Amino acid sequence: MSKITTGKFSLEDLENVQITINNIVGAIETKAEEEGVEMGPTPKPGISSLRNWDYKLLSRYQPVYTPVCDQCCYCTFGKCDLGGNKEGACGINMEAHQAREFLLRVITGAAAHAGHGRHILHHLIEKHGGDHPINVGPSNLLAPNTQMVTGIMPKTLGDLEKVMDYVEEQLTQLLATIHVGQEGSSLDFESKAMHGGMLDHVGMEVSDLAQISCMGMPKSDPEAPLAEIGMGCIDSTKPVLLVIGHNVAGVTYIMDYMREHDLDDKMELAGLCCTAIDMTRYQTDKGGQPRAKIIGALAKELKMIRSAAPDVIIVDEQCVRADVLDEAKRLFIPVITTNEKIMYGLPDRSKDSADKIIEDLSSGKEAGALILDFDLLGEVAPRLAMKMAPIREAKGIKSLPSDEELKTLTASCVQCGACELVCPNNLPIMNAMTAAVAGDITKFEKLHDHCIACGRCDPVCPKGIPILNVIEKAAQRAIREEKGKMRAGRGQISDPEIREEGVNLVMGTTPGILAMVGCSNYPEGTKDLYTVANEMLQRNYIVVMSGCSAMDLGMYKDEEGKTLYEKYPAKFLAGNLINVGSCVSNAHITGTAIKVAAIFAQRNITGNYEEIADYIMNRIGAVGVAWGAYSQKASSIATGCNRLGIPVIVGPHGSKYRRALIGKPYNEEDWKVYDARNGEEMPIPSSPEFLLTTAETIEELMPMIAKNCIRPSDNNMGRMIKLTHYIELSQKYLGHLPEDWYKFVRVETDLPITRREELLKILEKEHGWEIDWKRKKIISGPTMKLDVSAQPTNVKRLCKESVC
Amino acid sequence: MLMVDTTKNTMIYTTWGSRNAKPVQPLVAAKLISKAKRPLLVIGADALDSDVINKAIAIGKKGLQIAATGHSMQGFKDQDVNAKYVNIHFLAHYLGDKNWKGLDGQGSYDLVIFLGHKKYYVNQVLSGLKNFTDIKTLAIDRHYLQNADMSFGNLKPEDHLEALDELISNL
Ligand code: SF4
Ligand code: SF4
Ligand code: SF4
Repeated sequence: MSKITTGKFSLEDLENVQITINNIVGAIETKAEEEGVEMGPTPKPGISSLRNWDYKLLSRYQPVYTPVCDQCCYCTFGKCDLGGNKEGACGINMEAHQAREFLLRVITGAAAHAGHGRHILHHLIEKHGGDHPINVGPSNLLAPNTQMVTGIMPKTLGDLEKVMDYVEEQLTQLLATIHVGQEGSSLDFESKAMHGGMLDHVGMEVSDLAQISCMGMPKSDPEAPLAEIGMGCIDSTKPVLLVIGHNVAGVTYIMDYMREHDLDDKMELAGLCCTAIDMTRYQTDKGGQPRAKIIGALAKELKMIRSAAPDVIIVDEQCVRADVLDEAKRLFIPVITTNEKIMYGLPDRSKDSADKIIEDLSSGKEAGALILDFDLLGEVAPRLAMKMAPIREAKGIKSLPSDEELKTLTASCVQCGACELVCPNNLPIMNAMTAAVAGDITKFEKLHDHCIACGRCDPVCPKGIPILNVIEKAAQRAIREEKGKMRAGRGQISDPEIREEGVNLVMGTTPGILAMVGCSNYPEGTKDLYTVANEMLQRNYIVVMSGCSAMDLGMYKDEEGKTLYEKYPAKFLAGNLINVGSCVSNAHITGTAIKVAAIFAQRNITGNYEEIADYIMNRIGAVGVAWGAYSQKASSIATGCNRLGIPVIVGPHGSKYRRALIGKPYNEEDWKVYDARNGEEMPIPSSPEFLLTTAETIEELMPMIAKNCIRPSDNNMGRMIKLTHYIELSQKYLGHLPEDWYKFVRVETDLPITRREELLKILEKEHGWEIDWKRKKIISGPTMKLDVSAQPTNVKRLCKESVC
Repeated sequence: MLMVDTTKNTMIYTTWGSRNAKPVQPLVAAKLISKAKRPLLVIGADALDSDVINKAIAIGKKGLQIAATGHSMQGFKDQDVNAKYVNIHFLAHYLGDKNWKGLDGQGSYDLVIFLGHKKYYVNQVLSGLKNFTDIKTLAIDRHYLQNADMSFGNLKPEDHLEALDELISNL
């Protein structure tokens, strides 16, 4: 029998019959074989395929549950009080329900990215065709997450559709398990969450590969241009078009229209969240400069609207406030929704003429419109902004109080404390009011940076003080200064870059990769990111940024007036600062670790998840930090890192994700792996000590990062460098020599070179180690040996068969 | 005579469920601490922002072991107190382990006292302890913490310091 291939076929003798064959059983394996690639054991894994791996992770890193609510209200048996780990009416206990809640967060986040990915892919295939090649820079390994998980090696946009089919199918299976009367084991819920996190990175990768390939975004470019960022960089004397969301598809039409009609200099195009990041990547791959400005993250959304500066607001999807339309209406700012995920009850004007829509919105007849036709959107949005600006100017629209009003308002505060109770950060509002009455507005300026502009305080004030507006008015001076620079997202780390740096990462001579990702729900304002990145860059870590963190980092300058993006180069080398791009570009961070396994270590990644995760976990000192994580997406991104053995630290608000994964360093049994050369057990350092945890402050965070970059594969130079940073950062920020530093010492050459003698003395005196003082050598004491040719693995089947 | 009534204001913004911390007066809190066999004082980094850190040192000097979370360790440098750094999330995990030997190797704790933390953060830690351990928890911060077993109510900063003084003098 002849071999059937995919494609369209007509049958002879039968008119009007065409058969389309999309998928053939075993097609991925066949394709891999044809291309001479060995297929690993788990292409397109199902829910249970990687369960053993998850269980290994979960036995060392146990779930720690911190419920946000003691009750469950999932079905009409309930609601049930699960307090004290009781069972509900369906038999589920608190632990399992918390794991279920966490899973729901993860798959919600993954679905947001995957939904975005499908939308943009669909749109780009329609525009460029399914045969459009994937072009993301000078790499052969185009889609590391996709290839590792699914076994598919996509080359065209069309190939990515099959990848999305897989992700969507699996997400549906996972969603099904949330239903009452499904899973009862917390650990199996956790394994499912890991599966969801893994899928998320595939969905994100598809989104970014598609947009980089078709939208002229930088392609692994360390010289990606700098974009302007900050509320202070907006020139509100020009018409201002504000875009909010995460999906740049529609906005590119606006940008094209503006260019074609010579409007780039005549109006301000500004964005919030990842759409803003992706606008600054649009058509900059061939030396083009960003044609849009970035305001910042979600925490700036209400502040920006309340500033009354925008003349038109465009929203697409994700992390857009639900009250944008109501807030905008008050200030006569028309709102255009452009994506089915957010429609705000607005009339669908996709088939109307631009003139008619502009007329209805500018006259105030309609507060906004839903426009799903991007050509129409491209024309309406800029024309409307040009028309609205003089109209709004003539009406004298403003929302912040005047200087006089500010005085009266602050003086009317009765110090009741209601606002502080409802404020998610319990910010010291009363104090700022008192200080302002006495003429000191610096406390309000600080509040402006700490305030996430949630608006929860406004309605509870018994004196009717519009608290957020008061903060924003009082902080005008600080806001005008909010001007910075962000390097446009460069996309992937390229194969040649991995070739150059891989060895340093695995040996530890580059102390680690710090990936600062996620949103802006910071405990102590935006400057913390700058402080951490600056400290770690000075110590030669590779700092990788993405999403809202990438933006907020660009807001601060050093004494010479330079942002970190201007100060540090952006190659994939020690001491470099990289911005990979928007939220979906997070896939390139995990992709980098996978590439190290594939390119530096020559491991087969195709459909070979477990082996690659095992490799990364034991060898690549990378730590993710999502300091302001608040969204479900942040939990899925983190969980996708976790399944690969990459630890993630979230800020204190992250405790509300309900569960962490933390190990017990005092349980020696938990810190052993096999040596793949002979299958023998070998002890490893308790690092990473956790897969997901919170830190209280950045001072605590920094030594945690350094310590958790330690890996079994470090050579002595690498271990010495990592240990030096751990000890120095602990002394600098916690004021102490950490208790456990000696546990990471295998030989004297692991010790920080400048303090070797002092530390040897401590080892002898406090830990009873034997030291040969003549040769300054450790004779006995360490529990681990230095053996750089050891092959640490958690997976028994990867050991030499003769022994295991 | 009561100096500060720490039980008056127990307002909460959102609820974790039907169980609420019992509001306590400083004197009662002091008695609870004095009676405990293995009390642990957990001090967060927010203590460093005010005089709270000195109150923590004063309690520590009465012989209580201190778990210094966040970077509160800075405040205990060169003070004659028994303070050890630990991440608060890790601590919550270890406290749930019957085999944990404590920060000093002498065994786990029967009463854990919290001071100097962000309200939303420590409430989560307390939620874990409340639901999954038998350990008694006491919050002496300036916010009413629903998930503790016992807690001060919401207090103004100056009243809080006064309440801590009263507690210290009764230890
Ligand atoms: S799903 Fe179970 S625990 Fe939740 S409300 Fe229904 S019966 Fe109660
Ligand atoms: S708007 Fe700002 S000050 Fe008001 S409750 Fe929200 S975070 Fe707090
Ligand atoms: S709610 Fe209003 S009156 Fe009460 S403290 Fe806050 S600002 Fe003052």
